[in-house]
Amino acid sequence: MSSSAREKLLNPKPGGKIAEARDYGIDLTMLAENLHYTPAERIKRNDQAVNSILKIEEAVRKAKAAKKAKTQ
Amino acid sequence: MIDLFEIARRFSEAQVEFVIVGGIAIRGHGGNYITEDLDICYSRTNDNLKKIASVLAPINPRPRRFPENLPYIFDWTTLQHGTNFTFETSMGDIDLLGEVAGVGSYIDLVPQSLLVDFDGYSAYLLSIPALIIAKRTAGRPKDEAGLKVLEALLEASKDEN
Repeated sequence: MSSSAREKLLNPKPGGKIAEARDYGIDLTMLAENLHYTPAERIKRNDQAVNSILKIEEAVRKAKAAKKAKTQ
Repeated sequence: MIDLFEIARRFSEAQVEFVIVGGIAIRGHGGNYITEDLDICYSRTNDNLKKIASVLAPINPRPRRFPENLPYIFDWTTLQHGTNFTFETSMGDIDLLGEVAGVGSYIDLVPQSLLVDFDGYSAYLLSIPALIIAKRTAGRPKDEAGLKVLEALLEASKDEN
């Protein structure tokens, strides 16, 4: 999608679906940002995001286990 | 580490007949959706089932929530004995769908899809209007945000070629 699509997302037409999404709570700046990338790049960025979340979850699990071991 | 992009690229490289649907398709269109699984709708010909099996076998597919201590044999004939499969693999979860409610089977989906580049290989991504139909048909509360995103992206893309 082009810069005009990004423009529409950043300046929603009143009463339209973009405005509806904004009012629902969708972060339109993120959608506009995503349009800078190709579909393949967007999917790779999804993988990176999931892997980051998994790393954080693992770190939290380890921290909880360590805390539990300390208190025992 | 998950690598859903690489699974899709391998399907394309092996000339599997498939269309990417679900969260990864929304992501591919520009949605800010984060998903841990790759959903594809696939052709059910024997030739295609063999190609799918050849891609999945090296990454150890097993049905999700299948008991770890039980053996599971996977080959292309496994895929003959069902239509929809939810697998976990060493590269991430993958759902194989014989049909998408409201849109149809692989041959119905192809004309409603975009061919996108996957690092030198091509893969079909279900179009935004077809994803909207699929989400509306599913009618699941969890899809509501995804539907809002798709409708916004559709409006943003209007008047573009």
